[in-house]
Amino acid sequence: MANKSTLLIRFLGSMNLAVTLLVMLAVASVIGTVLKQNQAFQDYIIKFGPFWTQVFDSLGLFHVYGAAWFILVLVFLLISTGVCLTKNSPKFIKDMKNFSESLSLNSYKNQPYSETIALANFDLEGAKKILTEQGFKTKIHQRKDGVTIAAMKGKWNRLGYIFTHSSIIIICISALLDSNLLLKFRELTGDLVAETRSVSLNEIPKKSWLGEDNFSFRGTVNVAEGQKTNVLFLPYERGFLVQKLPFSIKVKEFRIEHYDTGMPKSFESDLILNDPNLEQPIKKTIRVNEPLYYKNYAIYQSSFGDGGSILDLKIYPLLSPEPNSIEIQTAISRVEPLKTPLGVFKVEFNDFRAFNIIPTTEAERKKTGKKTHNNGPSITFKVRNEQGKAWEYESFMQPTLQDNRYFFMTGMRTSSAEPFRYLFIPVDEKNSSKRFFKFLAIINNPIKIKKLLNLYIPKIDSIDNKTYNLQLQLFTKLLVLFRKKGFQGINLFVQTNIPKEEQEKVKDYYLEKTSLALQTLYLSILYQDEQNKDSISEFNEQWFEDAIIAISSLTRYGPAMYFELVSFKQIDSSGLQITKSPGKDIVYFGSSLLIIGVFFLFYLRQKRIWLAYSVTDKSLIVAGKDSRDLPETKKEFAKMIAIIKQKL
Amino acid sequence: MTIINEIYKEETKINLFSIKEILWILFVLSGSFFAWLEVGNLMDFYEIGILIASAISLILVGKFWNSLKMLSYWVAGLSILAIWEYANYSNKITANEESFLLIYLISSQAAIMWMSALFVLAMLTYFIAIFSKSIYVGKVATVLTWSGAMFGLVGMMVRWRESYIINFEYGHIPVSSLYEVFILFSVLTTLIYLYYEQKTKTKALGGFVMLIVSAAVAFLLWYTFDKQAHVIQPLVPALKSYWMKIHVPANFIGYGAFSIAAMVGLAYLITNKISQNNPNSSFVKSMPSTEEMDDLMYKTISLGFGFFTIATVLGAMWAAEAWGGYWSWDPKETWALIVWLNYAAWLHIRMSKGWRGAPMAWWALIGLLVTTFAFLGVNMFLSGLHSYGEL
Ligand code: HEM
Repeated sequence: MANKSTLLIRFLGSMNLAVTLLVMLAVASVIGTVLKQNQAFQDYIIKFGPFWTQVFDSLGLFHVYGAAWFILVLVFLLISTGVCLTKNSPKFIKDMKNFSESLSLNSYKNQPYSETIALANFDLEGAKKILTEQGFKTKIHQRKDGVTIAAMKGKWNRLGYIFTHSSIIIICISALLDSNLLLKFRELTGDLVAETRSVSLNEIPKKSWLGEDNFSFRGTVNVAEGQKTNVLFLPYERGFLVQKLPFSIKVKEFRIEHYDTGMPKSFESDLILNDPNLEQPIKKTIRVNEPLYYKNYAIYQSSFGDGGSILDLKIYPLLSPEPNSIEIQTAISRVEPLKTPLGVFKVEFNDFRAFNIIPTTEAERKKTGKKTHNNGPSITFKVRNEQGKAWEYESFMQPTLQDNRYFFMTGMRTSSAEPFRYLFIPVDEKNSSKRFFKFLAIINNPIKIKKLLNLYIPKIDSIDNKTYNLQLQLFTKLLVLFRKKGFQGINLFVQTNIPKEEQEKVKDYYLEKTSLALQTLYLSILYQDEQNKDSISEFNEQWFEDAIIAISSLTRYGPAMYFELVSFKQIDSSGLQITKSPGKDIVYFGSSLLIIGVFFLFYLRQKRIWLAYSVTDKSLIVAGKDSRDLPETKKEFAKMIAIIKQKL
Repeated sequence: MTIINEIYKEETKINLFSIKEILWILFVLSGSFFAWLEVGNLMDFYEIGILIASAISLILVGKFWNSLKMLSYWVAGLSILAIWEYANYSNKITANEESFLLIYLISSQAAIMWMSALFVLAMLTYFIAIFSKSIYVGKVATVLTWSGAMFGLVGMMVRWRESYIINFEYGHIPVSSLYEVFILFSVLTTLIYLYYEQKTKTKALGGFVMLIVSAAVAFLLWYTFDKQAHVIQPLVPALKSYWMKIHVPANFIGYGAFSIAAMVGLAYLITNKISQNNPNSSFVKSMPSTEEMDDLMYKTISLGFGFFTIATVLGAMWAAEAWGGYWSWDPKETWALIVWLNYAAWLHIRMSKGWRGAPMAWWALIGLLVTTFAFLGVNMFLSGLHSYGEL
């Protein structure tokens, strides 16, 4: 009579449910790895469209491992294993102890393996010895009509079942202790709200703070060299929570070492941990794979970054008619407002890198024999206008070698999904950018253009004054066009203002005149620099070409400003990860139990042999049973029979 | 009578104090002691523990499996020869472009090429042995397989040394990149197979198992020639840990055993299919019985499951130390769990429900797909904390 509750128990402890749950867990895990978890909502909408994003989100697919149904599967797994364990354990423990020495002769004959041998005399001690030699434990039962030896080995196999299944329960429960289930609950009750803005610590509302009583956590914090912290940031849902620590940690020094390939070799921090309860602060150096353990906290070296390196910058206004620049001092992670004639901008200084080690090209490797070279320090920063549009830059401090010439290299992009497009400013003979900005300022200055052209392209006798003036005016106009949109600008002008038949001819003429004007202005600079007037060096010729390319691409380079890194003082920050995980040691205990259990299960077989001698029949029943029926079970039984036949 | 002879033969085999056994123990102990003398100063407490534990397990496994002794002697001999030859060229890495011995035989790159060639050849020979029904050809295949495994191990040993020769700072055990673990995979899979070949006394499955090893070799060659993956790179800080020395090998015993199970499953399905159509086919006759294959699948999966469990637990412990959490649902971690769950389900169905035969063979084969994704697919398609060996 199976009533409802026994049916339920049977269902919960059934193998079908167990395997179904195992497979469900596997499938959920697959989803969790294939669908990138915990991304920004925007990214999902871009990827799947609003409809599917909605559907996936309501199924919890973006946080599978925290989804209610996932937890439910886990809970059912626990129940199922638990039911199975409580149902089977008593049976198994009994089975471990029980030699079944007092069964009837018939039931021995009905064992999976059984053979009856005619035997005149039974040597009890001899038989016992054979079994003991084979590793069996024996128990002797005297019957009226003879004697039974019951033998068993590998009884721990049964323990394997108990070990593996209880370990699963232990591991899951202790892992739940370390999960953020409690936080989830507090969030549901409205007690806790994740902070999603990036604001300073004292602007974060109380509802996003966690006290020292928080049971378990895992978070990160970046601490600049020389600074200390007593809080931690826990990533939570789409924001973060602030965890208060019962101690403070100071990063006295951060060190990083590199391989010759530029890869980080090791990084480490000298920490000073100060707890009011401690007489002496704890000093310890931590590195990757070598954390600091304190009470039930563990402090790990997890990353590194910039801790607010100080930068001296020169800002060149790219449209200025005079070669001037302003100098500012700032630091990484600061935001500087910039008032310009083009509007107010905000400059966010994001990152500084002291080295940029990149692999060498084939040709370079032949020449220098080195596998990598260092492109020197660089900064990344964003320029944001009043409407919020941002241009991101990556700017190198030292000139870089490209096609055998050196350039100041700056990359720009308007979305972090794009690669940087680089602007190459050629260095002058003094290895500086000075001539470039001087040249640029002249091109920006129509009055100066006119003056210089007047000076260097004097009126010749064959044309009259008016024509000459018109010519100068044309030159100036072409240069303005060029400065605005590069050679493309002149093309466009021709296409919109000149009748179709003449476009080709006029374009050629204009381009020739533009080149002539640019060359003339360039010459004027060279003359000022007191270069050799009769012949222009190859370097200077090449410089001109590179400068023209750079100038004509300036317009695609965002707001008309150029940031030059002049000097810096590097300040590192150490990325610390701090955890409190009370379940960890229990998980390890459970895991050990699991491993031992698995090996008991697979490498021990519980084997039984019975020798039941009947004095009346003068026969010996040899019976055998194995917890797992394998091909060798049969062979081993045959062997046993053979030995018994031979020795008894 | 034959059975009794067998029993006695087995009993005499386990003579602890034969010269062979004593030689073996002395060999392992002196080798480990020498290693400790030479590079003990580079080892931390745990690594010395690992050295001692490896010595003890090698002694035990060697006692248990005789053939491993001879293999170890050869591997040690050739590796020492290679190290000595490098020393002759004043320990410059360019010796592998100058010394004849290194270029053609035992620089790590040469040894790995020999391994690759021998494994592919072994696969072909095993298949020829099935179709020609020649016992001799079968023996040749076995010798080829052993030699391939030997060269693979020599390649790894020498690569270990070479990493220190190239740049002392780069030095590390060669189980850290995708390239290196593919060698480990090929060698371990082959060795596990060879063990079962001796135990089951059949060579008919060799071709099938070496098929998956040859696939690994093909990948290895593509990876070498197309991506220059054989170039020895320094370790990222997260991998600099004694954990790597135990976590990775345990993992690959698991992967190797699962692969063998899958290939036996394949052999099972083919044999089953052919015998349905033509029960007297000579192919079917030269294959082991379906029961034997079924049993071998069970044995290799349970072996793999044991080691995979150890590897996953060790991985969690390492993660706790390197990343600050024993479980982060990182794709590699999660896929290890998926693989584990899959085989746990397989074992449950077999042990409790008593399923046998074709469905289990299919499942073992599909299990290989899951395993391969965990091993390779995760690195190719999913990004995560396990940043080594991206394709
Ligand atoms: C290390 C992992 C595991 C191993 C090695 C293992 C092994 C076993 C074995 C050998 C049995 C059969 C016992 C017997 O009849 O002799 C069994 C039964 C069972 N296992 Fe597991 N198991 C594992 C994990 C789990 C998990 C995670 C569950 C969770 C659902 C589970 C649920 C069950 C259930 C429900 C049975 C059926 C018991 C019965 O009704 O007889 N097992 N397991």
